[in-house]
Amino acid sequence: MRSLVVVCHPDPASYCAALRDRVVATLTESGHELRVTDLYAEGFDPLFTAAEHASHLDVGAHPHAAGHVADLQWCDQLVLVYPTWWSGQPAMLKGWIDRVWVRGATWELPAGGNRLQARLRNVRSLVVVTTHGSSKWINSLQGEPGKRVVTRTLRAVCHPRARTTWIALYGLDRSSAEDRQAFLDAVPRRLSSRRLRRLARRRSTAA
Amino acid sequence: MKALVVCAHPRGESFTRALTRAAVRGCERAGHEVTVLDLYELGFRAEMSLEEHRAYHSESPLLDPMTIEHAELVKAHDMLIFVYPTWWSGLPAVLKGWLERVMVLDVAFRLERQRVRPALTHVRRIVGITSYGSPWWVVKSLQDGGRRTLARALRMSCGTRVATTWLGMYSVDTSGIVERAAFLDRVEHTMAHLDPVRNHGGSR
Repeated sequence: MRSLVVVCHPDPASYCAALRDRVVATLTESGHELRVTDLYAEGFDPLFTAAEHASHLDVGAHPHAAGHVADLQWCDQLVLVYPTWWSGQPAMLKGWIDRVWVRGATWELPAGGNRLQARLRNVRSLVVVTTHGSSKWINSLQGEPGKRVVTRTLRAVCHPRARTTWIALYGLDRSSAEDRQAFLDAVPRRLSSRRLRRLARRRSTAA
Repeated sequence: MKALVVCAHPRGESFTRALTRAAVRGCERAGHEVTVLDLYELGFRAEMSLEEHRAYHSESPLLDPMTIEHAELVKAHDMLIFVYPTWWSGLPAVLKGWLERVMVLDVAFRLERQRVRPALTHVRRIVGITSYGSPWWVVKSLQDGGRRTLARALRMSCGTRVATTWLGMYSVDTSGIVERAAFLDRVEHTMAHLDPVRNHGGSR
């Protein structure tokens, strides 16, 4: 199984980086082929430009995104590791979605239509590993927009039967060191749930 | 009222910019004072930097002169108007980054005995004006992350005396010039006729 891990945090010494290390170690141990993209480390520019907007309906007019698109089209599983800020993806990661998930690569629009068709049908599994400063209750009141963007909107252009897995630590601001350690230790188990193991097995026999 | 209009679109000739102008006209007709922040024109940096992240939990989290200026503007305005195109069910990165970099400790929230409390209690109204490529029912089934971010998450930082107004143009990619003109009129009219009395128990 091929996994693309996209990491987004400005601080290389953050808790998010520890989560990334766990994710990478777990997937490597389970025999996944791995590509890791660290948006801050590579200095990704999240600003969708005027020129890109002018050509956003043209197929193949997005050279800036080529490498990222190739990774997206290569993977069976996409794993996003990021802190939830203002109830959603950090601007850096939102910018990656805005600029990389372009027409032709991830979606197609039939002439005169207004509903996207999926082009990222190679992606069978979407996994998010994230932290929320506030509690689960507050996030529920806010409607978890970050979660919906992944489990509904991004999923809509992936394989029609793509699975989504939400691995989240709520209440980070008031958590103890033990809570954070417990969550770190739970990541490997959550990442190798029976469902994901079965999927990985099927993908490796298919390959 | 004093209205702060935050606009996020890379192109000057875009529908979003036209919506911004319509909103400003409406506000001026109603006698509101208007300040416009055009994030792309200003060259606003979207992503939070490492230094800003390290300062985030300190007492002075604002490091950039531009975010300091914007934070002062937020404090001085009692109506926040966001005009943006909805991309991937959410805010454009630059607007999301504006929330992350400007709406920080002592601007959007305060800490009282380790508990987060709203600090935008002077804000009386949040207005969202946006365009969606998808039709209304698709936006609803995807659950409109951008709207939830502004009308729920940001609203929670505004205390209890805040109203929200949402103006959405659906299926914008397949809309014609007539529908767009009608929506522009609707935006201007709505902004000119916001009723401060009904929602807030008196214009203060």
